[in-house]
Amino acid sequence: MKIEFTPEQQALREELRAYFNKLMTPELRAEVAETVGEGGGPLFWQAMEKLGNDGWIGVGWPKELGGRGLTEMEQFIFVEEVMRAGFPFPFLTTESVGPILAEHASPRLKKELVPKILGGKLIMGIGYSEPGAGTDLLSLKTSAKKEGDEWVINGQKMWTSLAHHADWIWLAARTNFDPEVKKHSRISIFLVPTDSPGYSCAPVHTLGDVRTNATFYENVRVPEDHLVGELDMGMMLIFSQLNRERLSLVNVGAFSNLFNEVTDWCRDTTLPGGEKMIDQPWVQMNLARCRTGLEALKLICYRQASEMTHGRLPMEDASAAKVFGTEFFVELYRRLGEILGTSGVLHRTSKGAILNGRLEVLYRTASIITFGGGTNELQRDLIARGGLAMPRAKR
Amino acid sequence: MDFTFNETQQEVQKLANQILSDMSTTQRLNEVDKQEDRFDQPLWAQLAEAGLLGVAFSEENGGMGFGFMELCLFIEEVGRTVAAVPVVPVIVSAALPIQRFGTVEQQQRFLPKVASGEMMMTAGLTEALAECPSQPATTAKADKDGFIVNGSKIAVPFAHKAERVLVTARTDDGIVVLLVDPKAEGVTLTRQRSTAHEPWYEVAMENVTVSADDVLVTHEKGEQAARWIAERTTAAYCAMQVGVSDFSLKTTAEYTCERVQFDVPIGSFQAVQHRAADCFIDIQCLRLCTYQAASMLDAEQAARNEVLIAKIWAGDTGHRVSYAAQHLHGGTGIDKDYHLWRYCLWARQIEMLLGSSSMLLSQLGKKIAAGEAYAA
Repeated sequence: MKIEFTPEQQALREELRAYFNKLMTPELRAEVAETVGEGGGPLFWQAMEKLGNDGWIGVGWPKELGGRGLTEMEQFIFVEEVMRAGFPFPFLTTESVGPILAEHASPRLKKELVPKILGGKLIMGIGYSEPGAGTDLLSLKTSAKKEGDEWVINGQKMWTSLAHHADWIWLAARTNFDPEVKKHSRISIFLVPTDSPGYSCAPVHTLGDVRTNATFYENVRVPEDHLVGELDMGMMLIFSQLNRERLSLVNVGAFSNLFNEVTDWCRDTTLPGGEKMIDQPWVQMNLARCRTGLEALKLICYRQASEMTHGRLPMEDASAAKVFGTEFFVELYRRLGEILGTSGVLHRTSKGAILNGRLEVLYRTASIITFGGGTNELQRDLIARGGLAMPRAKR
Repeated sequence: MDFTFNETQQEVQKLANQILSDMSTTQRLNEVDKQEDRFDQPLWAQLAEAGLLGVAFSEENGGMGFGFMELCLFIEEVGRTVAAVPVVPVIVSAALPIQRFGTVEQQQRFLPKVASGEMMMTAGLTEALAECPSQPATTAKADKDGFIVNGSKIAVPFAHKAERVLVTARTDDGIVVLLVDPKAEGVTLTRQRSTAHEPWYEVAMENVTVSADDVLVTHEKGEQAARWIAERTTAAYCAMQVGVSDFSLKTTAEYTCERVQFDVPIGSFQAVQHRAADCFIDIQCLRLCTYQAASMLDAEQAARNEVLIAKIWAGDTGHRVSYAAQHLHGGTGIDKDYHLWRYCLWARQIEMLLGSSSMLLSQLGKKIAAGEAYAA
């Protein structure tokens, strides 16, 4: 039990912090603010390529895949710092889908896609949810049928985030239509290029001003080897991918920074009556509650990163991290927002906005996190089952 | 970054768990409750015999020579079984400070006998409405080579059986840490009844003489020593709370899998599962914050923020898990023939000891304001 980074890891954190200070130019920050955290602009892609060329994206990936060969812990440190810097890093592609793809995609696609992912040249859209299948993913209707040496895909996906910047969709489709076969053994994963004939994408505009998409698949044909992993066993890949996604979602870096910036703002701000903002007892109480939660979240993340370096990621732990992290963020944004008060609901472009209006955006975007990546009710079911051996709930 | 326990630590955990779960059964706890004092003498002797009481004492002091982390893992098991043994007050609050700050003579006079279970020690860290031993109202006045003490400590476990009671007092020249003989002239022990049935005493001291050989720390080092003691006692209670809460949840999960209503186990209902899942998360947060604080204290690192945060979690988690466990058990949970009620009492007692969550949040807030508690 030693909850400390090694001197090398500590040096890596400092190196990364200095690196991102340089990378995040005012111009890039302005572009990022305009695209509300999703990236996709020209400066974003330049920065992504630089991250790739400098060997950061694959810092914890094995050397034979083009990574630096360090552990999951170094990879985690990189992601924490990239988030702290406020760069809209496409972590779902690199941290969540990427490693599963590298393990299970056909040799040809692996050879084509892994270097692009680690080179910062590729964003992947994830096509799981459908209009009629969200939490109950097993009931999805998009189908893939074999015709000769091709798969023919038909259906519609919802909430295909980043699809408008993506060259590929990581798509779940039904491949087994035998009514006798169990629901979790009839879905497969495919890699679908977004320039395929029959593919289309329509924007969905959300409360947080983040664009997401509906994507449509009309007789989309992909070669045989675009199937990822074993036929009909896609749910296994989806579970592993979601487990990793849940962790990436609650990375603590960005939030520690936000807490520290609000703290500094309070320390520097004098109220009209002459008192310091930071000396208000209720402000201190709000900050203390945030700090207490952040510490726990930090430890949850560090522990999981450490467990992953040993090849372990129990389902109940990933789910616990997701539930705690996402619900804590909602609380964090509220308590920090309370401190800024009316000024905290000013849009970043408005006169008088504080801390670049970030808390005004964050509470809006936060409404997605408790259901995105698997709704928290389902996560609690998984905790009860995996962590407490309670019986599967009737559905 | 290592969140696993080494072999020694796992062995301590296993040994403690084995002895405590073998000996501190519900039946045994029921018997102990019939005694005047809630104290399991045979179990205490067995823990001494196994070396656990002295797990964090040096070998010269009759111990195993391990650290504070190992001790906390032992204490977690005490919490898990709510055993009637005062490990925290005796070992953490009284004996460890003697090992850390005492002279060789003082260490030799007390520690080997504490390790062997022959001698009890205790500490008076709390005063009425003063939870923090580094800011006592109790006074001490230098007299010859020792001190004359006036004041009153409350919630002192086992003061009547203790060879010495460690207390803090203020002098004109800082805080002092003294070992008071509870049989000395001017000491009045008055029994207090604590919610968890631990034998507690008010230790009132009127012109009590403490001789030089019972003076532990003085002058500028006193306040720091008082904090050292408070931090370790707090972390130890957090570890105990981990055990108390973890067992409460496990027993609740098992119970809800067996209890059938509407023809199904109530544990299959989502509403029940989700309350249990929230407890699982709470305990994870408490556990990690506690282990972090304990491992830092073990390495003698500065850990004031980490201890504060762990105790805030101990208060909140203890409260929430205890009520959820009681609630999900329905009437069974409050029945004294079942074992859960003791866990409820200990969760509450630990929640309030050495600072409640709100009080400590306010302390943490002040540290944030002073720029001493930025997030990492």
